[in-house]
This record gives sequence, structure tokens and C-alpha cells, in this order.
Amino acid sequence: MQKALVDHALGDMKHRFGWQIPISLGIILVVGFLVLLPVLFLFEKAFNVGDPMSFPATKHGTDNLFSLFTEDFDIILNTVYVALMATVMAIFIGFTLAWILTRTNVAAREKLERLMEVPYYMTPLVGALAWAVLAAPKSGFFNQAWHAVGGTNDPFDIYTLFGIAWVMALFEGTVAYVMISASMKSMDPALEESARVMGASKLRTTLTVTLPLVLPGVLGATLFVFAEMLGSFAAALVLGIPGRIYVVTTSIWSTVEAFPPNYGKAAAMGLSLFLVMVAMLAFYRWIVTRGSYATITGKAFRPRPMDMGRFSWFLFSFCLLYILLAVILPVGALLLTSFQTFATVILSQATFTLNNYQEALALGPVRGALLNSIVLGIGVATVGALVMTVLVWIIYRSNLKGRGAIEYLAMFPSSVPRLVFGLGLLWAWINMPGGLYGSLWLLGIAYFTVLLPLGVRTIAGVVLQIDKSLEECARVCGAGWGYQMRTVTLPLLKPGIIAAWMLLFAASVREVGASLLLMGPHSKVIGPSIVSTWANSGTQLTAAMALIQTFVVMLALIILFRVTRESQREMS
Amino acid sequence: MSGPERQQITRIEVKDLVVRYAGDVLAVNGVSFDVGRGEHVTLLGPSGCGKTTTLRAIAGLEQPSAGSIRIDGRTMYSAAEKLNVTTENRGVSMVFQSYAVWPHMTVFDNVAYGLKVRKQSGAQIKEAVDRALGLVQMRHLADRGASKLSGGQQQRVALARAIAFSPTVVLFDEPLSNLDAKLRAEMRVELRDLQRRLDITSVYVTHDQEEALAISDRVIVMNVGVIEQIGSPQEIYNRPRTRFVADFVGSANLLKGKIRGASDAGGGVAFEIADGSVLQAIAPGGAVAAGNDGEVSVRTAYIGFGKVDGQNQIAGAVYQRMFHGDFVQYIIDSPVGRLTVRRPPTQLVDEGTAVTLSFAPEHCVLLQG
Repeated sequence: MQKALVDHALGDMKHRFGWQIPISLGIILVVGFLVLLPVLFLFEKAFNVGDPMSFPATKHGTDNLFSLFTEDFDIILNTVYVALMATVMAIFIGFTLAWILTRTNVAAREKLERLMEVPYYMTPLVGALAWAVLAAPKSGFFNQAWHAVGGTNDPFDIYTLFGIAWVMALFEGTVAYVMISASMKSMDPALEESARVMGASKLRTTLTVTLPLVLPGVLGATLFVFAEMLGSFAAALVLGIPGRIYVVTTSIWSTVEAFPPNYGKAAAMGLSLFLVMVAMLAFYRWIVTRGSYATITGKAFRPRPMDMGRFSWFLFSFCLLYILLAVILPVGALLLTSFQTFATVILSQATFTLNNYQEALALGPVRGALLNSIVLGIGVATVGALVMTVLVWIIYRSNLKGRGAIEYLAMFPSSVPRLVFGLGLLWAWINMPGGLYGSLWLLGIAYFTVLLPLGVRTIAGVVLQIDKSLEECARVCGAGWGYQMRTVTLPLLKPGIIAAWMLLFAASVREVGASLLLMGPHSKVIGPSIVSTWANSGTQLTAAMALIQTFVVMLALIILFRVTRESQREMS
Repeated sequence: MSGPERQQITRIEVKDLVVRYAGDVLAVNGVSFDVGRGEHVTLLGPSGCGKTTTLRAIAGLEQPSAGSIRIDGRTMYSAAEKLNVTTENRGVSMVFQSYAVWPHMTVFDNVAYGLKVRKQSGAQIKEAVDRALGLVQMRHLADRGASKLSGGQQQRVALARAIAFSPTVVLFDEPLSNLDAKLRAEMRVELRDLQRRLDITSVYVTHDQEEALAISDRVIVMNVGVIEQIGSPQEIYNRPRTRFVADFVGSANLLKGKIRGASDAGGGVAFEIADGSVLQAIAPGGAVAAGNDGEVSVRTAYIGFGKVDGQNQIAGAVYQRMFHGDFVQYIIDSPVGRLTVRRPPTQLVDEGTAVTLSFAPEHCVLLQG
């Protein structure tokens, strides 16, 4: 009797789940291994206070964590100061731009909207290098120009906490603009129009209706940007090292690179940063999902822009000023520098040359690094786009049990700073048999893992737009799963897969944080090579390398835009 | 074969169907019905009543947890036999609410899909697509990209695609709900025409009661996962069995009261309403006991102004008149509360006028508790 019951229950389980359990378990194990293992090692190292060279650890304790607050309190202060300053500036710039570009009738709105994306794609590393050329004390272009017109002191100095925050805000703050303008676009214009009909003025409408409604969105963006700024690395490295200013991320790097390296301390810093970011992002998600968004639907509206009259020229110049500071001046400075033997903005003293580009492309290690990056980019993008498409299909289209867990795991890396993730991977694989450590394969695994959220989000955006009944209809017409995938799902997904490929390629080529600690002598890649050239040789060579990297990334992105625009035209 | 004879052959047989959603929500809770060959049956109900889930379970797009589904004598789903035939092997066809016209194919390729899957020859495909597109008057747009069609045209393509491979069973999931009122009325006529011309059996899902009554041989009214009533459109309209059916299909006045006399041989019953007067009603559900509380339904269209011998009377005064064009709606203040009456626009009664409402006993239907 008892046995019969159990048999029946087991049969029922099989009937209901069948082959699903092994498949989802397998996926969860593989993704979980990639995503969680580095974090586990981070935990282990952070509490390891024994002999740093022995594995497993000889002694565990909390000394590493406490030393953060006793020895390195100034670093924590620096980090919070930089992140706060950068967040305030980024939110101010982002909110103003979002309001101007979604709510007013400023000239050339669509062109400006397109231009706003450029600083993000330039990367904070290139931005920081460019601003070092522009505003370094003494040799910076701004100071050179100041001296040329008779100034004596150096009014500009980018090698400061404020300088770091400034560059972060300009080049990483675009995410604030994207988030705030999304929440402004999803607001029903009828809400504002009814205030106007009731007799409220433009200003009163903005203050009593618009602002309260977008406030949760702005708050969410503030938290999100602050968390990002805490984990930001490249700008703090390029601009902080000359002035010996350290934030948590750069201090992790220097602790690992120092001799002897103090891994326990680095791990403790990485762990603390990771936990703070997880808490911030959890708080952010709580704000977003709390339900105060009842008025903000998922639907995108095209709000009727307000007529600002003559004032709109002032708004237009604000947008131009941002483009000038974040695109035109930096790119111009890098271009000018890369063609000179000695970086100067006083053109009468300049000697122009192509040597820097020759050197960058001829130099063994540099060319090798560039080639490695491109090979890695192609590999990671190809494998990534395929695997992530399958993951997305499982997460959003199948009835597989445990797909929620898969989604959570795939999105997990977005709450770990790249550098910290690299740190964890370093220990996870250094003791692993198979000799992956120090090879391009390990970098490939690292890229794939840290880029999971980007790829999954990109492809999911397309999958969610495809009405489920388009697939169901193929089945009803008699097509099996394979035939349906080949004739309906994949053709419809094509633009999304191509977009993901290009984004993954671009993100791989410009990767710095995770690569820095995982790169071996025979597996150099371009991002960290630019950093070390900046530290060891001239500005001119670095500028040429940065521009070559930017060129490769931009090329991929231009192809991407062409492809998506064409497929959009095809579909509509 | 004539209509009723054909319908004796059962095409679809749904028995004790239960569909559970995640979190153990019962979407469909023990639904049974048959559909005969060539019959056009509509599942009607408010959103969330389980009608679409039932339809999707027939198509194999939803996994039931109990019951059975048989199509043409073949078991497609059976909880007892642990059998669930995949969608593509059921041989049914379906028109989706969103049309689901593939945007990356031409009109021709969309319609040819089911034929290509069935590995038909090029000539056969061309002929069948041509015929299907001809039926929906879309032959001239065969080479157009499907993304360049209007809503009404997409609807026609979806219809042509669903019938092109000559399926015996076609399922319709609210196919007209995204069209504007005028186009919807036109498509109803065309759909009814198509059903008659092709030998197809269809199950149709809608929340629009007018549509359900207009195009069905039989209507199945559903509410919260169970069937409230099955019957021809006239039966559903004239003899609603429950309060839900009376209220959801058409418009009706519901009067509470007490059953006074037991039903006679013809199903007639005396029913006392709030003001103490007694109405002559019918009890289509069968014998009822005197003395019980009950409720009768009177269709707004079956109430006339002025005394008529042999009919029920209620005195009142016109509180409000609304001119709708096709009919005029009156709200009448009466001793038993406000009643709604719909009359043709040929004769108008002013607001404030005293009127006597009369309606035949067979239009005063006792509802089941």
C-alpha cells in the first residue's frame, strides 16, 4: 500500500516534469559554478589570516576585515567622497538632459539623443586618459593655454578627488540619463495635460505633477549610479595614481600588485565593496518594485514637448556643452596628442608624426595584446550570443522548473565590481588543475561570466517583444520544436542575436577591470596594456593605443546600428 | 447529410477538464462538453473565466492536470493514461487573438506554412494557398510582406493560414477583438459564411455576448472555471438558467421574491415580488418547492408599455429616457425598484409619464438558486 502510493507519486512527478529536472539542474550547476565560485573564493580569502601562500588556508579570522577600518579608513572616505560627488554630478547632468530631451522642444532633439550615447561607448578609461591630457597640472592643454595667454599658476588639476569624480560623472553618468529619461517617457502625458486644463501654469505643473511622478525614477537612478560609482575603477586608476589618491578598487589592485601581495586584505576590501553594492542594488530594486509606480506604466508614450520659446536656445547650449566636454574635447585632445612627438596644444611648437601609431601597431606586446583582444572578442561574442540565446529562451519562453533561479544567476555578476570578480576568479582558478590560469581561456571564461547580464538583457529585450503566439501558431500549424525554432523563432531573433554579438564583442575589447588581474605574460589584452603604457611610457603612445581601441569598438557599434536599423525597417 | 445529422458525429470530447496554474490557481475546474462535426460552438464568459485556457488545452498549448480530451475519437490528453499529445501532432488549427502573423514572411509564406510542414508539393501548396486567400479576398496581396498589412488584413491572413491546410477542427481565440466595431460586424458575417462553406468544426472563444449569440450553433457560458449553461443562442437568451447567465448575456431585470405555487405541468409557477403582487413565471429548470426564496429574470426587450391581457403587469413612471438609435432605453421607477426597458425608437414616451409595464409569463424566467 505504502509502496504503491510512493510509486504513484514518483510516476506523477515523472509525468509532470519528465526530462526537465536534469536539464535545469545541469544549467543551474554550470552557470552557478561560473558565477558563484569566484565569490566563494573571495569570502574564503577575506577570512584567511594564515600563510597566504598555502592552500587550503591554515587559519581563519576577521583581522583582514577590521584592518579596513583601522588602517585604511582614508581609502573608505575617498571612495565615498568620489562616489557621492560623481553621483550628484551625474544625476544633475542626467536629469537636466533627460528633461530637455524628452519634455521640451529643443532643436535637433533626435540628433542630440543619439549623441548622448557616445560618451558611454568611449569608456571611462579613454575618457580619463583624455582628461589627463586636457587638464593635468602643468602639461595639460588647459594649463598650457593658460600659460600662453600669460597666466602663471596652474588653475586646472585633474589628479584630484574632484577630478576623478568629474570624469566618472561624464563617462559613466550617462546611465543616469538613460534611466531618468526612460521614466519620463513612460509617463502618460494626459497626467500633465489634465493639470494644465485645471488651470495650473507650466511651472506649477512641473512642480506638482511631473516632479513627484518622476521622483521614484530619479531616486532609483541615484542609488543605481552610486552603486556603480563605488565599484568604478578605470578613472580612479588613471587619475588617482599620479597624485597617490586611492579608492577601494584601485587600492585592491595596488595591494595585489605590491610585493609581497596582501591577498587577504585585497579580498576583504573586495568583499566589503561587493556586500555594500548588493545592499544598494537590493534597495534600488525594492524602490522600483514597491508599487509607487502605479502611474508609470510599461507603455512608452511620446510626451508632447513643452514650447520653451527663446529659453530653448539656452537648453540647447547646455546639451552642446555636455557634448563638448564629454566627446569633442576628449577625442580632439587624444587625436592631437597621438600625432605629436610631444603633447602640446600650442600648435606653433608642435611636431607632427605618425610614429605613435607605427609603434602601437608594430610593437610586439602591443600588437599582440590588440590581436588577443580581438580574438577573445570574437570568441566570447560567438559562444556568448549562442549560449545566452538558449538561456534567454529557457528563462522567458520555456516552462522549465527553476528558470527563475537561472535568471537570478545570470544577472548576478552585475552586482559584483569587475575587478573584484577578477580577484575571485584568480583564486578560483589558480589552484584548479588544467593550467587555465594565465591563458586566454581563463580570460574568455571571465569575460563570458561578467558579460552574462549584458548579453541576457539584450537578447531578452528582443525575445520579450516577440509575441508568444507567433511560436505557438507554428506548433498549431504542425511544426515540431526544431522546425519552429528554425523557421520562426531564430529568424525573428536574428537582429537581437546580432546586436548581442556586437555588444559582447565591443565590451570584450574594452574590458579592463576583470582582465587586469587575470592577464598572464602570454595572454596580454589591450585594456590593461593601455593602463601599463600610461604608467610606464609616454602620453602620445597611450593616446594612439586608446584611439585604436576606440576605433575597433566604434566600428563594431556602427555595424550594429546599421543592422538593427535595417531590421527595424524590415519589420515595420 | 443535413445539419442536425452531421452534428451527431462527435468531433471533440472534453471531459472533466481541470487546468491548474502556478500557485495552484484553478483556471478550469471540471469542464465537460462535446462538439459535433460541422458544429460551431462558442465558449463565452468574462475575462479570467477559463474559456481561453480551455481552448488552449484543446490545442495542447496548456498542460491540464486532470480529465481528458479526445478529437475524432483519438485521445489527445488523458490524466489517467498519462498521455499528452504535443500540439503539432493534434492536427487542429487555430486563429490567435493577436493574429500571430509572422512579420518576417510574405502573406503567401504565412499561409503556406502548414502545407510546407506537411511536405506538400509546390503545385499543391500554390493551389491551396490561392484558394484560401481567395476565400478571404486577399489574393491580390499574396506577395506583400506581412508586416505591411493593416489589422483587418492581418486578420484575414491569419484566417487563411488557419484553413489553408484543410484542418477538420479550427479553434478561434477572440479573433475579432482587436478590430473596430464596423470591421468586426463585417468579419462576423464572413466567418459565418466560411463555416457553412467549409466542412470545419470550430470552437470559438469570446467575451462579447452579442458575437457569441450571432455566430454560434451552441453557446457554452463559463464563469470562474466552470460551465454555467450550454444551449443554442435562443435557449441561452430566452431561458437563462442562472443569475450569472441572465446578467452576462443580453440585458435583463432581476427581481427577488418568493415562490408561491408549485409548478404546473407546463412549468408555470406563481412568484410573489416585493410589493406583494404575484407574477406568472416559468421554471425551465424543472420542479420547484413553494415557499422558497427565488429570483426571476425579465429581458429588457420583452417588456412592453400598456396593459395586455394574460400578461404580468407592473405599474411605474418613466424616470429617465436614453435614445440609443437602434433602441430607446427607459429607466422605470416602480414599487419593486428601478427597472430597465428597451423599446424600438418608433414610439417615444416622455420622462415622468406614468406607464404600465407588461410581459408574458414565458418571458419571466425563474432562475436556479
